[in-house]
Amino acid sequence: MLLIVIAGTFFLLEAAPGDAVDAYLLSIGGGDPALVQSLRESYGLDQSVFARLWLYVTALFRLDLGWSVVFGRPILDVILERLPNTLWLMGSAVALSFGLGSALGIVSGARPGSATDRALSIGSLALYAVPSFWLGLVFSVVFAVQLRWFPTSGIETIASGKEGFARALDIAWHLVLPVAALGFIYLALFLRMMRAGMAEAWRQDFALAARAKGLRRHRIVVRHIARNALLPLVTMLGLQAATMLGGSVVIESVFAIPGFGRLAQEAVAGRDAPLLTGIIVVSAVLVILVNLAVDIAYGLLDPRVGAAEVPT
Amino acid sequence: MSVLSRLLRSPEGAIGLALLSLLALMAIFAGVIFPDDPLSIVGPALVQPFTDASLPFGTDRLGRDVLAELVHGTRASLAVGIAAAVVALVIGSLVGTLAGFAGGLVDEALMRVVDAFQIVPSFLLALAFVSVAGASLPVVVLAIALGAWTAPARLARAEVLSIRERDYVAAARVIGMHPLEIALREVLPNALGPVLALSSVIVASSVLIEAALSFLGLSDPNIVTWGSMIAEGRNVLRSAPFLSIFPGIALMLTVLGVYLFSEGLAEALAKRRARA
Amino acid sequence: MSQFLLTRRALLQSTTMLAAATALPWKALAQSGGRLIVAADSEPKNLNPAIVASNGVFFVASKVVEPLAEASFDGKDGLAPRLATSWEGSADGLSVTFKLREGVTWHDGKPFTSADVAFSALNVWKPLQNLGRLVFANLEAVETPDEHTAIFKFSKPTPFQLIRNALPAVTAVVARHVYEGSADIAADPANAKLIGTGPFKFEEHRPGEYYRLAKNENYWGEGQPKLDEIVYRVLPDRAAAAGALEADEIQLAAFSQVPLADLDRISKVEGIKVYSTGYEGLTYQLVVEINHRRQELADLKVRQAIAHAIDKDFVVKTIFLGYAKPATGIIPENAPEFYDASVPTYAFDVAKANALLDEAGYPRGADGNRFSLKLLPAPYFAETKQFGDYLRQALAAVGIDAEIVNNDSAAHQKAVYTDHAFDLAIAPPVFRGDPAISTTILVRSGTPDGVPFSNQGGYKNEALDQLIDKANETVDVAARTELFRQFQKLVAEDLPLINVAEWGFITVARDSVKNVSNNPRWAVSNWADTELES
Repeated sequence: MLLIVIAGTFFLLEAAPGDAVDAYLLSIGGGDPALVQSLRESYGLDQSVFARLWLYVTALFRLDLGWSVVFGRPILDVILERLPNTLWLMGSAVALSFGLGSALGIVSGARPGSATDRALSIGSLALYAVPSFWLGLVFSVVFAVQLRWFPTSGIETIASGKEGFARALDIAWHLVLPVAALGFIYLALFLRMMRAGMAEAWRQDFALAARAKGLRRHRIVVRHIARNALLPLVTMLGLQAATMLGGSVVIESVFAIPGFGRLAQEAVAGRDAPLLTGIIVVSAVLVILVNLAVDIAYGLLDPRVGAAEVPT
Repeated sequence: MSVLSRLLRSPEGAIGLALLSLLALMAIFAGVIFPDDPLSIVGPALVQPFTDASLPFGTDRLGRDVLAELVHGTRASLAVGIAAAVVALVIGSLVGTLAGFAGGLVDEALMRVVDAFQIVPSFLLALAFVSVAGASLPVVVLAIALGAWTAPARLARAEVLSIRERDYVAAARVIGMHPLEIALREVLPNALGPVLALSSVIVASSVLIEAALSFLGLSDPNIVTWGSMIAEGRNVLRSAPFLSIFPGIALMLTVLGVYLFSEGLAEALAKRRARA
Repeated sequence: MSQFLLTRRALLQSTTMLAAATALPWKALAQSGGRLIVAADSEPKNLNPAIVASNGVFFVASKVVEPLAEASFDGKDGLAPRLATSWEGSADGLSVTFKLREGVTWHDGKPFTSADVAFSALNVWKPLQNLGRLVFANLEAVETPDEHTAIFKFSKPTPFQLIRNALPAVTAVVARHVYEGSADIAADPANAKLIGTGPFKFEEHRPGEYYRLAKNENYWGEGQPKLDEIVYRVLPDRAAAAGALEADEIQLAAFSQVPLADLDRISKVEGIKVYSTGYEGLTYQLVVEINHRRQELADLKVRQAIAHAIDKDFVVKTIFLGYAKPATGIIPENAPEFYDASVPTYAFDVAKANALLDEAGYPRGADGNRFSLKLLPAPYFAETKQFGDYLRQALAAVGIDAEIVNNDSAAHQKAVYTDHAFDLAIAPPVFRGDPAISTTILVRSGTPDGVPFSNQGGYKNEALDQLIDKANETVDVAARTELFRQFQKLVAEDLPLINVAEWGFITVARDSVKNVSNNPRWAVSNWADTELES
């Protein structure tokens, strides 16, 4: 599976007009033909694409992602440097949309068809319909430039020398706006699924039974309905992992966050095939890991699987 | 009661249908309302909206009519959304049906490809593809479809698997139809219903992906799209915010329309099915 | 109130403790020059200015590594001394003598000598540098009679005028002891941690985030530098700089990082100043490149028609919002030494353009079009792209249907300069003080494929080539200048390309930043006298 991904990326960049040398020449404003030739040789671009692909794949088995042409450094280093920023951004956005989304979904689904339900439903849908970059722009103008509540861009105060907790706080401060912009978009997704799941659960036997037992509505909602409705949301989380990782690209661009998405843009612009392949391989691995975690969470949540551990 | 009247009775469906009809009309008659190239320069630059009757929505950085751009942008955005959905559905359904019907090694191989596409963030893929192939309308459509065909493929395969043991398929096999013929003639049409339900989601997300790509500068420069309008307007976000706000609202309404419509439709279909 | 006192006491206590801990006298802290935070829109891969002579590199590296001389508004020949204190060319054009500054040390403490200059010239500028390869093509040897004299020897007569004009851009001096014995200077790890003689020392680079430079306490300039630190914050997105400036997160954005359309608004924001000077030595030219392999475009009348179809005033007013000048020819007005306004010009005249196209034998078809062209605007600047949008409309008005092809940088470079898959392209070449550095190459024939910002349109004009070659070996300043006057006339007559406008960039800074834009290459100069007022 990963091999397909790797080969696909490699050939995609091979088919691209212009190579790493072309990209580099422009950035320095020109050069003469001998320089061009020597650069191509030093980048190994005079070898065939298959030779380069073979070299890449064999190295990959030794966990060596290769050497970035654009950065002139090992790709693993470059990626590891950027990965945490994207993980923080994505993780917080997922947590925000999942947490707030399912909570509002419970509110909404507790009384399907009520005014609150309709309002939440339409409101979240409107948010879902907004392009994330647009929301990001609006947030940045309103909250960062005009109100000055949050910084306009970046991942942390530059060269602040902050360490430990102060630094974590600083990063969190910088992440508020981008996380909000990214998280609000996906809020609707979870809210609507939660609500739909709850509506479904109301009709099922155990809900009827609980009602018949005379349990209070509040208790039924939290104990029985919501828990059942949460299951498909967890599945959704796995499915959306890849989408969210993609969505962070644009947000990173709006807020100038040095993350994965921007790295990918730089790799494409610099025609750095090994770097782009590295990024895609790592993000694929990431998505696989998220899905693994989702499977485990599913097992814990599903009453049929985890009934023994969870006291009722 | 027909699906349409059911659709119109749910508020979501009615609003969605109204929005979509309005947009469709704008897209179809864009050339009639604004016969000139929307990119032509018609006035002074940065005329504020609602100040000049002939340029109700003002002009952009180069003095182009924002209203004309918006109306023509409808065309591009809807075209990209629908075309990408169609391409994704066609590829997805074909691959899914083939995999489900053939089974065995073919199924295994095809589904691995589906897996491979699914674990790669589709926006990254589209970004790389468009940067590499050069931004033009067909390339953008293909790039978006590349990331969207896996869901229909999975769905089609699942449907096929559940359908293929049913009587009419068995019957077709008995009368000696070629497996591929059975797949295309009998199974595919029956599996189509749920696959089509996916389509509205794909249309909506395609419109958004196109906008995001345009925002990053990856759009066909010979036509107007809302995303490229926002990207242009972003440079003057503070002095002429309307340049990003108008297309932003247009985008939102379109996607909202598609969602509401699909929701209403799903509800209407479910009710019909419940009655039947 | 008591709370306030408490905090103030706590504050006082901690500051005294801090002062004691760092063993600095209180006065030194009070006089501290502060940290200047600047927006940077790109992170050059190779930061060594001796190898890569480009503005993106200079923007950061010029504060660390210095050239022999810098451009100046009031110095003789427009130069101010840096590592060289004087320079003189011989009458035969075969040698140039530099007297070097004494008492200069490298950031690692070793003394700066003529050996460093000789090493830089022969081992770096001449063989490795993108511009130096051309300027120093005939450099044979560098003699070093003493530690502070370097004599450049050329195998063929080389105009001193050219060398002098090229000094600011091509002579960044690197340390011999750092690079000597390096197998591959261009890929040497030392390029990522520059050692120079400049007012600031290279401290760190966090990719995607920032570069940090710190004050060089042993700088040769008296009382310089004024700043303690310069931090370049990487903001690849141009729209981000304006917001960051307003929020006082950064204090300065150069190279028009604040979009032109936003200048009018931001100039009215309190505490922010807009500078349109300080780029006279780095004039960018907006040029329409023409592929002469296209039969229609090989016709002079068609090229003239295109020139007449372009409203340069509109371009200057609307696209550049007045921060540019209409161009008359291939040499910009900012180069008074060479500039000649009396070249043939092409006024905006749609009727004349149409008439010329009819004359050339390309009547309008049924759809109103005469013929179709592929137009490739360079993607590097918002203005080149906007001009692409405009040119498409301007050409439509004279019946030429232009289809814009949007490429990213690498694809554009390949399409235009290697594959020649264009009919018209829009390029932003730079005039670097002398036409021979990077301007004549735009029209000279014989450049191999693949070289960016060169004549890749298949244009060949014997007379023009001869003129260029002759200027390259003419030592006499007056005679050489005269040759370039003829050169620009010939270009304007035959239109191998169309010069539309010339522009410098805009710097936007907080009021607290002092001594901004005080030389013609300010953004890429050493900022030794830049101050931050608190």
